[in-house]
Amino acid sequence: MAATSTPTPVRIFESGDAALRVVADSPDREVNWNTVHSLAAWLDAAGADGVHGAVPTYDSLLVEFDPHVTSARQVRAFVLLGMRQLDYLGAPARTPRQFDIPVVYGGEYGPDLERVAEHEQLPVEEIIALHTAKSYVIRCLGAPAGSPMMDGPDFPLPVPRLKDPRLSVPAGAVSVAGRQAVIAPAVAPGGWCVIGQTPLTVLNPAKEPLVPYQPGDLLRFHQIPAEEFSLLAGRELEATQ
Amino acid sequence: MSGSLIIQQPGHAVVTDLGRFRGPRYGLPVNGALDQFSARAANILTANAENDPLIEITALDFRARATADLLIAVTGAPLTLTVGGRECPQWEPVSVRAGETIAVRGITGGLRAYLSVHGSITAPELLGSCAPDTVIGFGLKLAEGTELITSKTVPPIKQPYFDLPLFRLGLTKPDFSTHPVIDVTDGPDLEEFGDTAELLFTTRYTVSPRSNHIGLRLGGALPERQSSSEVLSRGVPVGAVEVPSREELLVLHRGRGVTAGYPVLAVVTSRSLNVLAQARPGHTVTFRRTTVAEATAEHRAAMRELERLRTTVNTVFALLGTGASPRWPGLMAANN
Repeated sequence: MAATSTPTPVRIFESGDAALRVVADSPDREVNWNTVHSLAAWLDAAGADGVHGAVPTYDSLLVEFDPHVTSARQVRAFVLLGMRQLDYLGAPARTPRQFDIPVVYGGEYGPDLERVAEHEQLPVEEIIALHTAKSYVIRCLGAPAGSPMMDGPDFPLPVPRLKDPRLSVPAGAVSVAGRQAVIAPAVAPGGWCVIGQTPLTVLNPAKEPLVPYQPGDLLRFHQIPAEEFSLLAGRELEATQ
Repeated sequence: MSGSLIIQQPGHAVVTDLGRFRGPRYGLPVNGALDQFSARAANILTANAENDPLIEITALDFRARATADLLIAVTGAPLTLTVGGRECPQWEPVSVRAGETIAVRGITGGLRAYLSVHGSITAPELLGSCAPDTVIGFGLKLAEGTELITSKTVPPIKQPYFDLPLFRLGLTKPDFSTHPVIDVTDGPDLEEFGDTAELLFTTRYTVSPRSNHIGLRLGGALPERQSSSEVLSRGVPVGAVEVPSREELLVLHRGRGVTAGYPVLAVVTSRSLNVLAQARPGHTVTFRRTTVAEATAEHRAAMRELERLRTTVNTVFALLGTGASPRWPGLMAANN
């Protein structure tokens, strides 16, 4: 997490007897994102009894707990304590790491590249240029298995999802949908448009954490020719700095 | 001394535990035993830790042969349990002699049964849990001939006087109904459904065959979302009741993807999630509104019941010398 502004106040919603949803709803989405991720880090470090963990996304945080050990009421009080701590101390600063992702675009590696180009009314090369143009902030880890969820490339139009989701998308698939971008760490069904594939191994079930990046880290794509795929295949993704 | 179970008929059985509680922060579902009460009870009945690996048997018949003397317990849905051809009680510890076959047949009233072995089963772990994850392909696969290693053997425990069941531990077993009532608390997005939310409490829903450990799909009159603003992906709790399509209601269970963008209408209580884990396709369910405070109290009452069971089991096992020197050595038929 980059050094950040003061967190915005949150609203806390009951979500059953074993979870709470915490929502930051200021008009500034960066502030919201910073708030829920800082709060998740605080909860994680505090390690309260009975609190299983926190799942931060964009403007919301799911806090899961064991209702035998603690309760929604106690966890709510604990979240508010965390917010006061963050108000007082500021959010912890963390230097983001950088990840570079080699991608083979199109063809068998990116079966939806042409469809996306058609939808955006741009040449395929321009889609690749836009996708490799910027550095993406990893906003949160999503399903399946620690997928890095990112704000998408600067395409003119949001990308529609596939009408018939695929039953199986390979690990390493590089996809876009709506205004979002992602890499698939594991084989899974998927309805996003697959525009390329990285030969790198993203998920390592023998390690904790399973994926090398965290929310707040930066990720960049660069194009490689199809011939290089097998040379890099199986190499593990690591931070470049 | 270690023993083992050789799988003869795997059916739809897996080795699991209470779940991968550190998973959701990395985008992995919690998974683990879907009927947590029955799973905990099985482990307690065999004097294991509640979170120890055990076998979850779903719907289909299951058979395994013991290579050593073992102590087992089977809980969960009503079924026929035989050991070496003898019919044995469920929800009680059962002695198995080396070479005997444990058979679980005819799971009927519910869907899932739990088989635990004293000394537990050795299984690989990911983030501190052996629970299978179908998305990333983690977990111990059971096939005909798979050998599951258990860490302890137990000489057979025999009732010396009459041929009566040895244990009467007095646990109140859960009800297995073909029409269970499922308690839910109001979801964080209830308001988005306006008046149609009430349909959830006035409709009888039918469990679809497309239900699984990720979620149950229920057919019936559907509440409808009144707003259409875009929802950013966010963490959703196990038990979340959503209306993702015009066809079915979706109730997320322990295999659920951690984040989603559908509004959460209601959340099933921890106790009722155990009940839903036993709902078979074709069964019908109705929903009843409760509060988080009541749901918490109910969950804690069930946990207290399991703690009482733990105390009783520990006392009985201490007297029999399972895991200690026997105080009633007469009950131990040493090699008969």
